[in-house]
Amino acid sequence: MQSSAARKMTPEGWLEPPPLPHHYDTIENHQAALRFGMWLFLGTEVLLFAGIFLGYFVFRHYFPESFEQAARHLSVVLGTANTLLLLTSSLTVALAHHNAEHGKNRNAFWLLMASVSMGAGFLGIKAVEYTEKFHEGALPGKFFSFSEITAPGGPVFYVVYFFSTGLHALHVVVGMSLLTWVAIRCWRKEFSPTYYAPVENAGLYWHLVDLVWIFLYPLLYLV
Amino acid sequence: MATTTPHAAAAHAKHETGPSRLVLNWLVLCGLTFATFGFSQLPISPGMHLAAALTISTVKVVLVVLIFMHLWHGEGINRIVFVTSFVFLLLLMFFVMADVVTRFPLSNSRIPPMPQVDQKMMPSGMPPGMSNVPQGHSGGPGPSSGEAGKQ
Repeated sequence: MQSSAARKMTPEGWLEPPPLPHHYDTIENHQAALRFGMWLFLGTEVLLFAGIFLGYFVFRHYFPESFEQAARHLSVVLGTANTLLLLTSSLTVALAHHNAEHGKNRNAFWLLMASVSMGAGFLGIKAVEYTEKFHEGALPGKFFSFSEITAPGGPVFYVVYFFSTGLHALHVVVGMSLLTWVAIRCWRKEFSPTYYAPVENAGLYWHLVDLVWIFLYPLLYLV
Repeated sequence: MATTTPHAAAAHAKHETGPSRLVLNWLVLCGLTFATFGFSQLPISPGMHLAAALTISTVKVVLVVLIFMHLWHGEGINRIVFVTSFVFLLLLMFFVMADVVTRFPLSNSRIPPMPQVDQKMMPSGMPPGMSNVPQGHSGGPGPSSGEAGKQ
């Protein structure tokens, strides 16, 4: 899988698929196994984020007023912009998968780079929001000094806020790295109708990052 | 684009989601994002806000999983993996929340109540007026679990 240099270009204009590991009968068989492995991994990711969401619901139950006050101090415009950015980047990733699957490696490359740029835009907006929180003193635990949240539990809200969005942002960074890696491989025309699992799996990871944000957005910014 | 082996072409046709469906799905997802925002502005109770937000988010997630992540046309085993992880997520949420919301102070206990957990959440060095927790406020998370710990 690593060495594309030794692989020949086919007449259709893409590299031959990498050699099939001996324990697979067919390349379809191999790709299905890769996909299945990715879905198993995504299942563990769901359970990782489950802890964060559980924390959100428990603390929201204990401190409903401060959670509502704090939500009003988050920028709905920036939160909505970030939601639309991630949704659009998911579309371009899905389109890149479609193009890679049809051997249109150059199209897939540009679509993946568009997704990576939107990921960077997302992190930029997040950085603006974090900077504002730092200046206000709207911070977790003992660092909290935000005078506009008067109900008890303000520091707890910001623990949930920073850890959920922080863990999510870390996933955005990892996702951008994965997309960049498969984009480079698209540029080298490695993918074809028989071999496109890396694009599909990196895309699945990116969609999961989008799924987490779909829940975080209303819970943190709106309700 | 070009010819492939018949085997690959067959595998292909099986899980094909064309660009037009992807774009349509994206438009619906954007619409639902604005719908979530719209619902949050309606004058309804916080509980209803939460229910509306979670319902719309769940619809969005189902759309992303089925269309963008190709689970609609995908192998059944992958569906089982993802659905199972969500079932365990819901079990975790349900039982923990069922515990949390049904806790009550042990009012007939002779053990004195725990100090307010609310106060502990307020950092020291808070400006005056910040720690406006009513004294004797009950129903916090502490009493029932805390009293047991004191025995």
